Amino acid sequence: MIRIALAFLVALVVASITAAIIQTQFNIAALQDWSVEIDWALRKEATFHDIINFSPTFAIILGTSLLVSLPVAYFIDRRRPNPEPIWFLVGGAVGLWVAFLIVDALLPMPTLIAVNRTLPGLVSMVACGGLAGYLFARVSKISSYSSHQSEGAAA
Amino acid sequence: MKALALSVLSLALYAGATFADEEITLSVIADDLNQPWGLAQLPDQSWLVTERGGRLLHIDANSNATQTVALNLPNLFAEAQAGLFEVLLAPDFEQSRKVYLSYACGVASRNTTCVSVGMLNQEATEVSNLEVIFSGTDKKGAAHYGGRMTWLPDATLLLTLGDGFDYREQAQNLDSYLGKIVRMNADGSVPEDNPFRHKEAPLIYSYGHRNVQGIVYDAERDAIWQHEHGPRGGDELNKIEAGKNYGWPLVTYGIDYTGAYVSPLQKLPGTVQPLLQWTPSLAPAGLALHNGDLWVAHLAGQRLQRFRFVDGKWQQSQDFLQERETRYRAVASGSDGRLYILEDSPNAKLLAISY
Repeated sequence: MIRIALAFLVALVVASITAAIIQTQFNIAALQDWSVEIDWALRKEATFHDIINFSPTFAIILGTSLLVSLPVAYFIDRRRPNPEPIWFLVGGAVGLWVAFLIVDALLPMPTLIAVNRTLPGLVSMVACGGLAGYLFARVSKISSYSSHQSEGAAA
Repeated sequence: MKALALSVLSLALYAGATFADEEITLSVIADDLNQPWGLAQLPDQSWLVTERGGRLLHIDANSNATQTVALNLPNLFAEAQAGLFEVLLAPDFEQSRKVYLSYACGVASRNTTCVSVGMLNQEATEVSNLEVIFSGTDKKGAAHYGGRMTWLPDATLLLTLGDGFDYREQAQNLDSYLGKIVRMNADGSVPEDNPFRHKEAPLIYSYGHRNVQGIVYDAERDAIWQHEHGPRGGDELNKIEAGKNYGWPLVTYGIDYTGAYVSPLQKLPGTVQPLLQWTPSLAPAGLALHNGDLWVAHLAGQRLQRFRFVDGKWQQSQDFLQERETRYRAVASGSDGRLYILEDSPNAKLLAISY
């Protein structure tokens, strides 16, 4: 149980920081499209700012989605003949995408996370959900893949 | 009966309310207003009040009688922030009876800010002969329309527009009306001396705006004052000048609702700095000049702020009505010397204060 909780935390933190770093680069690119000069120092400062300030928002959305998507992925994984952490990766990604749809439908603003306004941006954020799912499976060793490996080693 | 009850209520609750350094009297002129948005005073001192859902009301400030004005706006889109916005009388209203109405038009997947002009009959019971004179750049979603209007002394009309929320970069695009203030002749045509003549958006007067919710022309100082919403923080009070870039989203004192930077920059050559900025946001939603002072109504800030012009600068002098814990949508100067304020709620009041 501790391993699962730890895996959840690691997945959440790593994916949220990764998402913050990625979305900062998209936002800076949008400014550069209007000929705004962003030097390396400012890019670093902006990225650090967003890691501190954006990651918690992302973590709330991602964490909530994982509470649903990871059990579903586990359910599917257990029923596959050749289970793999890929189901957790897919579950994390699809779960986050659905969470974005729900959040944007509920909140007054059309798109809460600005980077999600474009397809490349949305794909990159959803991929962070996949990263969270995959990390959770590997660190927790909850996937039948890990169990299968263990059973194979024991045999 | 209703009018009498309102009068008694206003006297009982508000008369003689004392504030920090000034005594004001607050009266309830009308209640049961559903998300009112804009107001304009007729020559007989009665009021036209818009409701975002699309209703136009005629309110007698003396008898407190309220009646619905028949209005059939073409293609009105009312949802979330979208709907009927401002009502403004033509400069020659007493002769022409023309009223200007700004509103969201279209459907959820394709909508924009429109302006129609129509004729108000003598009894103020109907607006007829409506004609669309402006239609902005289409966008998806129901957020950030601007919608405030004011006349300049040369009888050209200024209309504020929003960035549509999802289209913030378009505030810098001079071929789009998103995130702009536009200037047009009374019939919607392009004034000869507009600063930009881009083919797709020839009415642009200034750009780099997020969601302008207040604008007023100050004849005494020959200046245009405006305020606009920032995201989280960075609401701005600006002096608007033709052709200037007010920076959004390249520079801002606010951050995104997610906590991320919209931009790490607060200043940039070629962009105009605000006269003052509100951080955290108070969400200014109405602007009026009254007795030489600038009055700002706030939504999230739930207060009315007065600014005085001292040594060439606006200085905040006093906050009012905070104790009522109500959002305020609009403020207007009455020809009877009172200041009129619209609350923002599904059961809102039209208030008048005198001091």
